[in-house]
Amino acid sequence: MSRVPYHELKARERLAAIVDPGSFAEILPPPARVMSPYLPKLGIPVAFDDGLAIGRATIDGKPIYLAAQTGQFVGGSVGEVHSAKLVGLLKAAARDRLPCVLLIESGGVRLHEGSSGEIGIAEAIRAVFACRAAGAPVIAVIGSDIGAYGGMGILSACCDFRVMTEHGRLGISGPIVIEKWMGKAAYDSADRALVWKTSGGKTRYLLGDANALVNDDTAAVRAGIARLLGPASPVTLAAIEARQAELAARLEQFAAVTSPEAIWQARGVTDPAAATLDDAETFVASLAPAAP
Amino acid sequence: METFQHSFPSRPLAWPADRSWALAGVVGSGNLEVLIEPNPAAPDAVAYDLQTSIPGYADSWKAALADFAAHYAVGGTRITLHDQGAAPVVITMRLRQALDLLTPAQP
Amino acid sequence: MTTAELLPLLFGESAAGITVTDQILTGYATVAGQDVAVLGTADGTYINNAAALRLSAHVIEVVKTRPGLPIVMLVDSAGQEPNRTAEMLGLAGYFGHLLASLELARNQSHRLLTLATGKAIGGAFICYGMFADAIYALDSASVGLMPVEAMAAVTKIPVATLEELSKTLPALEFGAEPFALLGGVKEVWPTDASLPAKLAAALASATTEDDRARLGKERGGRTLAFDVQQRVLADSAR
Repeated sequence: MSRVPYHELKARERLAAIVDPGSFAEILPPPARVMSPYLPKLGIPVAFDDGLAIGRATIDGKPIYLAAQTGQFVGGSVGEVHSAKLVGLLKAAARDRLPCVLLIESGGVRLHEGSSGEIGIAEAIRAVFACRAAGAPVIAVIGSDIGAYGGMGILSACCDFRVMTEHGRLGISGPIVIEKWMGKAAYDSADRALVWKTSGGKTRYLLGDANALVNDDTAAVRAGIARLLGPASPVTLAAIEARQAELAARLEQFAAVTSPEAIWQARGVTDPAAATLDDAETFVASLAPAAP
Repeated sequence: METFQHSFPSRPLAWPADRSWALAGVVGSGNLEVLIEPNPAAPDAVAYDLQTSIPGYADSWKAALADFAAHYAVGGTRITLHDQGAAPVVITMRLRQALDLLTPAQP
Repeated sequence: MTTAELLPLLFGESAAGITVTDQILTGYATVAGQDVAVLGTADGTYINNAAALRLSAHVIEVVKTRPGLPIVMLVDSAGQEPNRTAEMLGLAGYFGHLLASLELARNQSHRLLTLATGKAIGGAFICYGMFADAIYALDSASVGLMPVEAMAAVTKIPVATLEELSKTLPALEFGAEPFALLGGVKEVWPTDASLPAKLAAALASATTEDDRARLGKERGGRTLAFDVQQRVLADSAR
């Protein structure tokens, strides 16, 4: 079967490709016109859904809530209305104890709406943990070039699970910001290979920040989500202590490392140059058992 | 930013039973979104509502929108457009896509 | 006001129980006779992976050794450290873990209270301070997404335009007072001798309900968030 590249699709096309055919029932659909009051004042056109489509659907017959961000609309950024839709959706998922799938494509807070989007993301993070407490897993899917950055990078890290493709990126500060801060010699934001090896799906998977690395193909993404539609990942003392130890060991192991290739090799990639070109499945299958 | 509302005569659209709206495109640089909704009060006209980030092209817009109204049976609809500098060919394509999504069986 | 001056004002002699290492605060103190754990940032420092990990380590220690002890979080940080190796090693994951550790504390009946004391900007505020049960700010604190000049530089919208709009849209204004109008902080406090009593009262009244959207609507600074959330909840229940 031919691949349908996930990263090339628009938000609504992704939704349609991920869920059971015809199962998506949108909440506050475009005719509801729940739109940004800020953008027109700044001379920027609004979008009917404010860059976020939310609703209910099924995957393999299992009911879920899901949301998809439109990266083309102001960078997939999160303003007041956008965040409020997200918070409402997460609260509904917690209330109904249903999984919530977030198709993320966002640079973070929408600067044009100032602190209102920042507070909205903080509320959404509280709501993510409310889902986890209710046993409803929240699954972040990061498979677009825009990726998940800023507050949406932090929110993604708070979800139970992250499914990434080799196109997805997960971080907080983007390469342009870092280049401005550190200089081009330290981080050339135009060096796509370096940018993707710094924050891309493969590196995030190798370090344990992504739970699944799947091909840039809607069927593979769908299968990756479907495998995680079971129990949530509860926030327990044991889980937190294990993660603390893991993150401490990571810092210690890579304290002196500046090149992503060194991380790749330490995590079982025998030939980083060749592995750069591998698709996700090949990449995962070729990993050598990690050194103890 | 520029906005305008304008109606043009158009043959009545045979509104599908299972749909109440259709959306095509996204708001982004060089792109636009088009939403078609029912407007039963005016079955022989299409009511356009446009918002564009590029001012000064009202005449070109009116020509393109009048042309679409004359070419396709979209009477009894309201079509709202959010534009961020789309080229004329993209505008026509999005209008057509929205109509196709609404009435997939139409030739 | 420096951290060295502020800590005694908040905690009196018990401020001696708070260690400041590389601008990261961890320790224990008393507020109006009540024991609390303290964690936070100082002097506008940037938060990196190691800093986040030290904060989460303190949360874990509090949860394990001092059941139910309230946690006071002080925020004076300009943001996450914009650094390539920090990103490469997964800074977002470290922040997510810090938030998860605080969630654990909340679930185990630790009250979480934040006081923005200096800079409380962007990701630095999101990664722990804004996760509290109740959030307060000193009137001198610099609270918000980013200063107007920085917003103008990134969005290419003139400073004058943003400043004019911020007169009617407090979300675009930078500072503790406009942030309170949005519901992002409960109250703005003057930096004076009344602080310990205010902190103690705030700890006593904190609940785990996130009422920021409701506050933003009541105060008129963030008028849509609450209603949109409620509409989604209502429509999804049908």
